[in-house]
Amino acid sequence: MRYLLLVSITLAALFNVRAQAGTIEMKVNGLVCGFCAQGIEKTLRRNAATADVLVSLENRLVAVSTKEGADIPDADLRKALTDAGYEVKAIERTSRSIDALRSELQATHK
Amino acid sequence: MALRNGCVMATMTCLGAIAVTTAHAKPIAFAHGTTVMGEYGAGTMVEVQAFYAPTYRYSIGGGHLSLQSDLTDDTRDITYARLNYLAKRWNREAAQANIFMWGSIGRAHISQAGDRPTDNQFAWNVGGQADYETRRLYASFRTDLHEAHAYSHRIDTLQLGFAPYPHDYQTLATWFVVQGRNYTGGIYDGIEWAGLLRFFKRNAWLEAGLTLDGKVQAMLMFNF
Repeated sequence: MRYLLLVSITLAALFNVRAQAGTIEMKVNGLVCGFCAQGIEKTLRRNAATADVLVSLENRLVAVSTKEGADIPDADLRKALTDAGYEVKAIERTSRSIDALRSELQATHK
Repeated sequence: MALRNGCVMATMTCLGAIAVTTAHAKPIAFAHGTTVMGEYGAGTMVEVQAFYAPTYRYSIGGGHLSLQSDLTDDTRDITYARLNYLAKRWNREAAQANIFMWGSIGRAHISQAGDRPTDNQFAWNVGGQADYETRRLYASFRTDLHEAHAYSHRIDTLQLGFAPYPHDYQTLATWFVVQGRNYTGGIYDGIEWAGLLRFFKRNAWLEAGLTLDGKVQAMLMFNF
């Protein structure tokens, strides 16, 4: 019983860490050049909650990781990208870290 | 009259050279972005520009254009303030299309060869651009009307670009561009063609090429 409890606590802790290290992934229309990506990155990094930003033209993807304990509401993300001149088609919160996503994309393109 | 026509022709030649190097660049890079450009055109033109975009819809700024006539010793130095406006944008899954408009006012200092007097004139310009872009293809049509007491002309420019590979944010972008340009006002008969090679990565842009008569065009641009 104690063993099961210990496993449960460990799994819960691991899940919590993964959730905190999650990434907000957005599908964006209109991403066709490096200057587009630069403008979006600059816009998102101005948000105090942003920890890291990843833009992939190939995947029409904009990903944001937030600082620990912080979040950016979907409405704020949509407004930021709309104000930057682009159209957000979907927003998804995933458990993979932005570094893992970056590595995954790099591996895909090799 | 012949002199004036010569000056106008030289201006057209120089402004045409500018169009070769600038027509691909969008007048608004991104919201809260600053764009700085320096251009060298065919040994007759040097131009610097700086714009700031408070939103993605418009940018404001100015520039200075120095022109040296190919035909005479006449020179023109035009300093101007400009407003660029994005009238419409279409964002598609893997493409973007835009319609831009702009207008500028400024002062043209005209220095003429021989014993002809120098002159300072009010100058203005209106223009527009429609473009369509994917990561492999680019097409744009641009029209520019330039007016001052000493000159009046319009330049229409069609550009088609092809990228040999699709670039991404962190990789070098390479483009081959072909341009056809038509002049109004009896300045140039026919269409002038040019080939350009363009590279850009992150916030830096370098472009160079030749017209069919072998004149060098070059441009350097930074966005930050």
